[in-house]
Amino acid sequence: MFIDVDCYQVKKYNQNAYGDYFVSKRYPDEGRLIAVLSDGLGSGIKANILSCMTATMLLRFIENEQISIRKAASIIMNSLPVCKVRHISYSTFSAADCNDEGDVKFVEEGNPEVIWIRNNEVMKPEFEIIKSKTFKNRQMKVTKLKLKLGDRLIFCSDGVTQSGLGGGRLKLGLRRDGLIVLLKDKLAQEPDISSTELAQYIVHQAINIETNRQPKDDISACVLYFREPRESLVFTGPPFHQNKDAEYAQMFANFKGKKAICGGTTANLISRELNRPVTMEKTISIGKLPACSYMEGVDLVTEGVLTLTKALEYLEAGTSNIDNAAGKLVQFLLDSDCINFMVGAKLNQAHYDPALPIEIEIRKTIVKKIANILQDKYLKKVDVQYM
Amino acid sequence: MDKKVSVKVCLGTTCFVMGSANLQELIEIVPAKYGDKVEVSGVPCLGLCSIDWEFSKAPYVKVDEDVVKEATVEKVLKAIDEKLK
Repeated sequence: MFIDVDCYQVKKYNQNAYGDYFVSKRYPDEGRLIAVLSDGLGSGIKANILSCMTATMLLRFIENEQISIRKAASIIMNSLPVCKVRHISYSTFSAADCNDEGDVKFVEEGNPEVIWIRNNEVMKPEFEIIKSKTFKNRQMKVTKLKLKLGDRLIFCSDGVTQSGLGGGRLKLGLRRDGLIVLLKDKLAQEPDISSTELAQYIVHQAINIETNRQPKDDISACVLYFREPRESLVFTGPPFHQNKDAEYAQMFANFKGKKAICGGTTANLISRELNRPVTMEKTISIGKLPACSYMEGVDLVTEGVLTLTKALEYLEAGTSNIDNAAGKLVQFLLDSDCINFMVGAKLNQAHYDPALPIEIEIRKTIVKKIANILQDKYLKKVDVQYM
Repeated sequence: MDKKVSVKVCLGTTCFVMGSANLQELIEIVPAKYGDKVEVSGVPCLGLCSIDWEFSKAPYVKVDEDVVKEATVEKVLKAIDEKLK
């Protein structure tokens, strides 16, 4: 199973920093993912620092596996200081440690209770309550869940459940029950909605019921969605040993999922080995990049190094919807969950001719950078194979 | 005229940065000048830069089977004229 994770946040009205902090990390080798949301006391910079510290520390504690998640969370719970003025703890948190098999360990302290949805019904997991040794009235809830394909976990900051508080229709705010109604309605309409879209939907609904649409608190919603992964393959560069061309081309042909080819020589190679002609558009360049070509059974065919370099630039800057080959490649990558790169190690000496007017990076280096950013920033599962 | 002259502009990395990006105008000029006697298209890569001993002869354009090195719009038009003679 693939864990589609995302979080959407808005700041409290008139603040310039987020008071909630979300951090998530994927460990592709272990098939593991950790997601942590922390809500810092108050709002603005102070809350930002508190929540950021809590979330990142908790992530570190959980990830190195020397202690269990419950132990890690108890340490944080027992050591979080209390605000002198308000006499409540500095921050609250929810943390999920999950794997591809659907095993989830969940801890929460102070945040609204996690919502587990299966077949559009809310499941009722059993929580174990652990009281803090050092602070009265402070306790955390721990649970172990076994999720199935299609299940979702939704957790949020109290900005969501308390939205609309005091004003208008919902005197007590949206509350957990109201959120569940919203979620069920949305999921009935769009059962396959992505985590990104669902998280945005929750936050926008919460803002909509606030007085004057001005959030009275930081609002964050996180969604974990366990589903079949959308696989894709990017084939770029000719294999180092030419006698392996046929073999790799066959691997490309047999791949189940979306496919892209980045590289003119590469496209010719696949075309030759699989006997599928390449055709081009009636233009040469769009936006300073060579135009795309077409091949039967391949979703995207572009030039190599220049397009990859530009795509990396777009990924770093977070720009999307650009109408050129690199923009299409970015869209291709972002529409996938598991991205496989097959990178040919053969060098074209002509690229290293100093007469070339621009710096052309080595393919391997660019792919490595793209793989890292897809993994770290876009939370994709990436595999790079050199050939 | 039974057979069309085919003009293939290499859009591989080397050719593109060495100037095939500037051959875009061929797409408009050629049909205007020669009508449907000549067909221009881009190709992903002609594979010439890696086998030519002097790498710096890019961009390459193929007019039928003849290779135009360090191609410019003028050179390509000249090559087409030769073909149509």
